[in-house]
Amino acid sequence: MTAPTHPGDRPSPRTLAPTLALTAVVSALAVVAAVTAAPASVRTPLALGASAAALLLCAAVTWAVHAARTARGARRRLEAVSQDIGRLLQQQARTTEEARQEQQRLIDELAQQRSEFAESFEQERARVQEDSGQELDWYRQENVRLAAALERASRERAAAIAAAGNAAGRMQALATATLADLRGMEERHTEEDVLADLLHLDHRTAQAGRLADSIAVLTGARSGRRWARPIGMESILRGAMGRISGYRRVRVHSVSEAAVAGHAAEGVMHALAELLDNAANFSPPTAEVHVYVEEVPAGVIVSVEDSGLVMGDVQLRRAERAVSGDTTELGGLTGTRLGLAVVGRLAGKHGLKVSFRPSARGGTGVLMLVPQDLLTSPVGDEPAPPKAAESPARVPAAADPAPVHESAASGESADLAESAAATGSETAEAAASGSTAGTGSADDENEPAGLPRRRRGRTLAEAERRSSPQPEQPRPAPAAEDARVRAARFNSFRQAVRTAAPDSAGAHGTADETDPYAPTPVHDPAPAPHPESESEHTSHPHAHPEGDTTS
Amino acid sequence: MSRPGRDDAPDRLYTITGGRSGAGPDNPFDLVTLVVAESEPATGMQSEHAAILRLAEFPVSVVEIAAELALPVSITKILLGDLLAAGRVSARHPYRPAITDPDILEQVLVGLRNL
Repeated sequence: MTAPTHPGDRPSPRTLAPTLALTAVVSALAVVAAVTAAPASVRTPLALGASAAALLLCAAVTWAVHAARTARGARRRLEAVSQDIGRLLQQQARTTEEARQEQQRLIDELAQQRSEFAESFEQERARVQEDSGQELDWYRQENVRLAAALERASRERAAAIAAAGNAAGRMQALATATLADLRGMEERHTEEDVLADLLHLDHRTAQAGRLADSIAVLTGARSGRRWARPIGMESILRGAMGRISGYRRVRVHSVSEAAVAGHAAEGVMHALAELLDNAANFSPPTAEVHVYVEEVPAGVIVSVEDSGLVMGDVQLRRAERAVSGDTTELGGLTGTRLGLAVVGRLAGKHGLKVSFRPSARGGTGVLMLVPQDLLTSPVGDEPAPPKAAESPARVPAAADPAPVHESAASGESADLAESAAATGSETAEAAASGSTAGTGSADDENEPAGLPRRRRGRTLAEAERRSSPQPEQPRPAPAAEDARVRAARFNSFRQAVRTAAPDSAGAHGTADETDPYAPTPVHDPAPAPHPESESEHTSHPHAHPEGDTTS
Repeated sequence: MSRPGRDDAPDRLYTITGGRSGAGPDNPFDLVTLVVAESEPATGMQSEHAAILRLAEFPVSVVEIAAELALPVSITKILLGDLLAAGRVSARHPYRPAITDPDILEQVLVGLRNL
C-alpha cells in the first residue's frame, strides 16, 4: 500500500468515522461486559488490557476498513484505466484499420490510375507511332519522288544543255563557214553594190555567230574557233567590233603591239564583243564608244567607255558579280542579257579580270585586263617568218631601206608583223608555194628589178629553209623531178618575159621603172587567187606546195 | 566554195573600212593605178594604212597592194582613198605608151611568131 494513489482515491477520514465509532462502541461494550463479568481481582488489569485490546481493535478495524476501501478504490481505478486502455487500444486498432483501408484504397486508386495512364499512354503512343509511321512513309515516298524528279530534271537539264551546246556548235560551224564563203565572195565580186550587200550579210552572219558563240560558252561547249597563231590587239579589237551591230560607233585608240595567244584570242575577242555590245546598246544611238588599250606590267588593259546610262550601285555590284567568273549557274539568265554571263564565263576560263566604274564620259567604263600569260610578243615566233621574209625583200629593191626597216622592226613592227601575219602570210606562203620555188631563186640574183612578189616568196622560202632545215629536207626529195620540171617551165617563161622586156626597154628607154610593174597586174591576179584558193583546200599551204603547181 | 582555214584573220572587211563598201564616184583608183607614199607610217595608224605606206614606198600598183594585204581590190581602194584624202599617198596612172604603140605591138607580134 505504498503505491502512490490518487488523492481522491484515498478514503477520506470522515468516511472512516462511523466504522471507528461502531467498533469503539462494540469493543467498549465488550470491555464493559468482560470487566463486569470478571472477578474483581482481575478487573483492573483486565480493564486495562481490554481497553488496550479494544483500542488496538479499533485501530485495526479502522485500518482494515481503510485498507479495504483503498483497495477497492484502487481496483476501481485499475478497472477504469484498463477500460481506458482497452478503449484506446480499440481506437488505435480502429484507426489503424482505417489507415490501412485508406492506404489500400489509395494504393488501389493509384494502381488504377497508373493502369489508366499506362493504357492511355499506350494508346497515345500507338497512335503517334501510327501517325508518324504514316508521315514517315509519306515523307519517304515524297523523298523518293523528289529524288526521282530531281534526277530526271538534272538529266533533262544536262541533255538540254548538251543539245543546246551541240546546236550552238553547229551554228558556230555554219557561221564560220558562211563567213569564209562571204569572204571569198567579197574577194570575187568587185561591184560596189554586190560588195555592199555581201558586207551587210557578213555583218549579220558575224552577229549570228557571236550569238552562237555565246550559247556555246554558256552551255560549256567548246567556244568558237581556234586561232593557230597569236592575234594582234588591233585584230582582236576589230574582230570584236565586227560582231556587234553598232560597230561604226566604236572608236579604237590603240597603239599596243601586244598580241593575244591563239588559244585565248577567240575568248578575249568574244568577251570584248559582249562588252562593246553592252556599251553600244546602253548608250544613245549616236554616241560613240571609245576603246583604249593600255599596256601595263600585268598585261593589257582594254577599257571600254560609253557615254550612256550610269549604272547604279546595285547594278554595278550585280554586273561585277556576273563577270567575276565564279558563278556558273544558268539561273537568272534572260534571253536578252546573256552578255555579262558570257563575259563571266570567259573571264573565268581565261583569267581575264573585268571591272566596272563610272566613266569620265558620263556613262560606264569597263576595264578588262588581259593577263600577261595570254599575251605574246607580236614579233615572236609566229609572225617572225613573214617579217624576216619581208626585210630582205626590201633590201634588194633599194639599198637604203635597211635602216628604215630596222626602225619598222623595232617601232612599228606590230602593224607590220600583224599585217604580215594576218594578211601577208598566206599570200606570201602562197606565193612561195605557187610561183617561187622554181624560178624566183634563179631570177632575183640576176635581175635586181624583178617582181617583188617573187623576191618576197623566194626569201620566204629561203627563210623557211634556213629556219627549219629538217622539214625542208624531205620535201624536195620526193618532188625533185617536179621541181626540176617546174624550174624548166618557169625558166622558159622567164626567157619569154625577158625577151619582151628588153624590146620594150629598147624602144622606150624611159620606162625602166614602169615596165617591171606593167606586167605585174598580168601576173599578179593570176597567182594571187590561185594559190589562195588552193591554200584553203590544204590547210598547210607549203606542206605540199608542189602538188598544185604541177597540177 | 567552202574554204575552211581560209579565213584566218578575225578582221571582217567592214571593220577595216569602218562599214564603207564603196569608194565613191570620185575615187581615182583602178587596178593599175600606181600609188606612192608621201609619208612614213605613223603610230596609232590603222595597220592596213601603215602597211600600204610601207608597200608604197616605191610606186606600186593598187592590185599589188591588194594582193599583199590579201584584201579585195574594192576594199583596198577605200583604204587608199582614205590615205589620199589625208595626203599620205599620191596616185598616178601608169605611163604606158608602149602598150598602145602599134610599132611595139607589131614587134612583139613578130617576136612571138619567131619563137
